[in-house]
Amino acid sequence: MRVELPMPRVGPGNDDAPRPIKVVLNWGRRYSLWVFNFGLACCAIEFIAASMARHDFIRLGVIPFAPGPRQADLMVVSGTVTDKMAPAIRRLYDQMPEPKYVISFGACSNSGGPYWDSYCVTKGVDQLIPVDVYVPGCPPRPEALLQGIIRLQEKIASETLSTKAIRAKYAGSRRAAAGEVTRPLVARPHPTRPQVTRPQVTRPHVTDRDTGGELS
Amino acid sequence: MIETPCRDVPLQEWTAALAAARSEGFDFFDWLTAVDETDAPESPGFDLVCHLMNSSTGQSSHGALARVLVRTRVPNGQSAASATGLWSGAAWHERETHEMFGIDFEGFDDGTGLGLRPLLLPNGFDGTPLRKSFVLAARASKAWPGAKEPGESSEGGEGSPAHTEKPGRRKIAPPGVPDSTWGPR
Repeated sequence: MRVELPMPRVGPGNDDAPRPIKVVLNWGRRYSLWVFNFGLACCAIEFIAASMARHDFIRLGVIPFAPGPRQADLMVVSGTVTDKMAPAIRRLYDQMPEPKYVISFGACSNSGGPYWDSYCVTKGVDQLIPVDVYVPGCPPRPEALLQGIIRLQEKIASETLSTKAIRAKYAGSRRAAAGEVTRPLVARPHPTRPQVTRPQVTRPHVTDRDTGGELS
Repeated sequence: MIETPCRDVPLQEWTAALAAARSEGFDFFDWLTAVDETDAPESPGFDLVCHLMNSSTGQSSHGALARVLVRTRVPNGQSAASATGLWSGAAWHERETHEMFGIDFEGFDDGTGLGLRPLLLPNGFDGTPLRKSFVLAARASKAWPGAKEPGESSEGGEGSPAHTEKPGRRKIAPPGVPDSTWGPR
């Protein structure tokens, strides 16, 4: 059974609010980020260390941990993203309410890292979902994540948020059909052709199964 | 460290050798996999390796279980007999070996009747990635950005021959890296 719910809105007052009110609203949003940890590999250990007492990102307003993606504002993808895991990442990102932010934590989720030439590792989580802040390192220290969070908060503070603007911002990501990233078998280029064609990463159309049937 | 004894058997006697090892007491199936030996000088193919343990041992002083490797050579394109009749747990290992190396197992039965199907690879994956002939798409589209030798780097590698030209050193491309016939990268 499917329950039809309207898309969450920022609120009708936000579109017409005067600028000081928007500053206050952004100030409230930047210091109450419910975080959703997508820990996939060893970087998740550093993420957990950042949430613990010594580094403690709660003092920056990042609240661990949301019960699920539907209650989260921020997703931290920490670890090696594989093509097998790609549909799950896409699906959980799609389940997060807007406005939503993504921090890519570590070399693997930034670009594939040391496994960039593997047959099964996605070349960066930004092939699947839009990323706001990249944290480099293998793995990054917890302080690097704190710096990434501060960068994200600066980004949120400078946003002008209205329902219309959110719709525009996430319109592209809603249409993106990157739930499943597969590569066809690469073939040796034709010997008579002088120009070498590079194999393209193809993204087949996402099916209802991959997005949970929630998106059109 | 004692080396595990290895029994090389012909392909026709694969399940018979496994059944014989099981009747000797090696009743615990640990793992089964393959090794790509298609570039071997004689009888190229895939080494099918099965690791078995004797679960009734282990009361000795160091507490280790007796173990044995059973190995056979499967020529490319031929199929091996399935071990799922001896150990049901061999089904996952044979499915993985099938998808990674493209080796077929005759008589495979895991109780579902669905046959050999991909286990770990994502849906729609094309090819058998653990074969040495499998070319990595990332390597075909882009050269490796790292450096293997001191003084070597991705920037200016061609421009500084004093560091990069090493006479008499044979360049070996690892498996999965396309050779020069694929064109420049």
